[in-house]
Amino acid sequence: MTLALTELLGAPVFDTAGSRCGRVREVALAPQEDRARVAVLIVRTKAGDRLLPFGSVTSVNGGIRADTSSRDWAPSNSSEGLLLLGRDLLDQQVIDVFGRKVVRVNDLDLHQEAIANRPVLRVGAVDVGPRGAVRRLLKGVVPSGALRALLRRIPLRPIPWDFVDLIETDPARRVKLKISHERLARLHPADIADIVEELAPDEREAVFETLDEQVAAEALEEVEPKVQKAIVESLDSDRAAEIVEEMEPDAAADLLADLPEERTSEILLEMAPQERKEMVELLEFKENTAAGRMNTEYLALPLSANANDAIEALRHFEGGIETVSTVYLVDSHGTLVGAVPLAKLVLAPSDAPLLSLTQEPLISTHSGVGEKEVAELFDKYNLLTLPVVDDQKRLTGVVTADDVISLLRDKL
Amino acid sequence: MKFLKRWKTRILLFFAVVGPGFITANVDNDANGIFTYSLAGAKFGHMLLWTMIPVTLALIVIQEIAARMGAVTGKGLSDLIREEFGFRITFFMMIGILIINFGNVVGEFAGIAGSLELFGLRKYYTVPICALIVWLIVVKGQYKTVEKVFLAASFFYITYIFAGVIAKPAWIDALVATIKPPQKDMFLHQDYLYMVIGVVGTTIAPWMQFYLQSSIVEKGVTRRQYKASQIDVISGCIFTDVVAWFIIVACAATLYVHGYHNIADAKDAAQALRPLAGDYAYILFAVGLFNASLFAASILPLSTAYTVCEGLGFESGVGKRFSEAPVFYWLYTILIVAGAGVILIPNLPLVKISILSQVVNGIAVPPVLIFMLLLVNKKELMGEYVNSRTYNVIAWITTVVMTVLSVAWFWTLRAG
Repeated sequence: MTLALTELLGAPVFDTAGSRCGRVREVALAPQEDRARVAVLIVRTKAGDRLLPFGSVTSVNGGIRADTSSRDWAPSNSSEGLLLLGRDLLDQQVIDVFGRKVVRVNDLDLHQEAIANRPVLRVGAVDVGPRGAVRRLLKGVVPSGALRALLRRIPLRPIPWDFVDLIETDPARRVKLKISHERLARLHPADIADIVEELAPDEREAVFETLDEQVAAEALEEVEPKVQKAIVESLDSDRAAEIVEEMEPDAAADLLADLPEERTSEILLEMAPQERKEMVELLEFKENTAAGRMNTEYLALPLSANANDAIEALRHFEGGIETVSTVYLVDSHGTLVGAVPLAKLVLAPSDAPLLSLTQEPLISTHSGVGEKEVAELFDKYNLLTLPVVDDQKRLTGVVTADDVISLLRDKL
Repeated sequence: MKFLKRWKTRILLFFAVVGPGFITANVDNDANGIFTYSLAGAKFGHMLLWTMIPVTLALIVIQEIAARMGAVTGKGLSDLIREEFGFRITFFMMIGILIINFGNVVGEFAGIAGSLELFGLRKYYTVPICALIVWLIVVKGQYKTVEKVFLAASFFYITYIFAGVIAKPAWIDALVATIKPPQKDMFLHQDYLYMVIGVVGTTIAPWMQFYLQSSIVEKGVTRRQYKASQIDVISGCIFTDVVAWFIIVACAATLYVHGYHNIADAKDAAQALRPLAGDYAYILFAVGLFNASLFAASILPLSTAYTVCEGLGFESGVGKRFSEAPVFYWLYTILIVAGAGVILIPNLPLVKISILSQVVNGIAVPPVLIFMLLLVNKKELMGEYVNSRTYNVIAWITTVVMTVLSVAWFWTLRAG
């Protein structure tokens, strides 16, 4: 049997003597114990708000009946550790992880079952559709029988409770209520980014504080630059540094370059020395040149390497996968000599020298070349990656097709 | 070349400074605004000038509250009303806003029809075409580009300042009337009360508060950058009301003193620019009115659809496809189609309708203000950014005065 939260709120409460002692003010979960089961009712009595443990409730329909005396119910002084369904959820925004969007709660469906002759209420779904809306609009205006009949005709748009992610901006409460974003984190980073863009700044901050760094970094790369900047500015600098370290170096550099200088140096200070050095180098390049768009994580091997060496190096490579669609050959001075496409590498016998597999002619560009020219090279030669060299023809980085796509989209 | 480059920098600089506050204030002087101020000047001369200073003060305070709520909470006004006051109150509020804003949309199309009729173009062709243009601008995602054109063209309002000066108004009388309200018995006149409510309603329109707060959120203004927005809001309010003052003075000096006390259509209102542009007054006025109407007609239906959908929890946003946000797009489309449709009714008194919509705005100001005040004074929402006492006093006085004026007007209606 299903009961709506708003039907329960305001329902009369009778204690063990059968006397009516108040009305339901709040329905609360204790997420530390159970994420879905109703743990406590807060009852508004003449003597103030009281906590009625749901274990004492003997029946729910036609008024709440309890088998304890209202004098034994503890006064409700604080709602610590309790998730108040009315205050925290009704009319608020939550994340629908299944539908991958932010929705506003119209009502909650509570499933009622009986265990050992005692009623148990569990949150079944969040109602974001017209049924909840109409119920709330007409409740108390239309007789309840007629209202129920009407509501049955209205389609339900439920989101199962397991697919609902709550947003809580208070960090202390987040811990007490065990609010995490495990389910959100399983979505594609681009979907997380879309969701985050719809939230208010404080809520974005809350999400980025709780997400795992790796996921946060991937999602942050997909967020539009204006919002990206606001998020990083709102985070503590050590948290920001953790996330920025996990980002693709070129994306991270673009982001840091947009921040106020003071903020950038705060974040850089918190970063690991190796990553900091790399980032400082990238930051020195102008953003609209090949160097400003390039990634410094790439795979370069000596001239003597064979296909097997390359596959082995790939296994141990830690950078983003889009940069390894080409493996580069450099001589002892670091000068770029050749480029081997991943496909050729996979098809070649394992002892084939890499020098025999190189793509001819070798297309590369200088670090000072403008981004328009870079895009033209990609178009002309149908490239996936483009190596960037310095004045001495040494390999310094790689521009990938996804960087060029973002660049072109900005101009559209 | 150098000259061009310098101008380019200047224009860019101007757009960098112009923010949501200035844009909102500019849209405030829409077709409805121009008609209302013109009629105020034509019908009552300088007798409504006293409203300008208190209205500006109230406008600054109210707009600043909306902007501050946007910057601090990062949420729109209808979102906040929903989260703090629940579904039922929000529902009725949104229905009210929908009806009031529809009146304003009709007024904008009246402006489009009126301005193009000055060129001899009949409304049966122009209004549907403009409605289609407005609809396409937004649905095709071109609004941001077009906004700059509108903004640049809205400098037409400055012509009213010149027109006011050239018309040689009775300066002393105008200045005295700005500080001193007329005799008490003026307030017993039904027409006068109607006009006062209209002037306040067109200046402090309810839709502006929703629109401004959303724009602030959309622009990503946060607590820290808030000071800049404050200046943007204040300068916008002052600019819009200085223009309003000159429109009234210009109309008083050209129409009122010569005994033309009514404005029935755009042709009458255009007379106010005669001292400045002579026989070209029509063209100047028509272009300006057309721009103002089209600008507001692109903003109002969109802003309304956003407000209602956010409050009631429907998907919204021009970035979404029609199938993803059907309610949003339907609302937007219906507001435009119906708004333009009303104007196509033959022999419609366009200016009268436009002014009626502003009086309704004025009557709706107190409820919207009450909600804003309740929200902005919530500590758990605004923290240290709750209203100061001065702000509360000014805003509550505005609420009370508007309520009293509305009640008084209804009372004069009953008395006949």
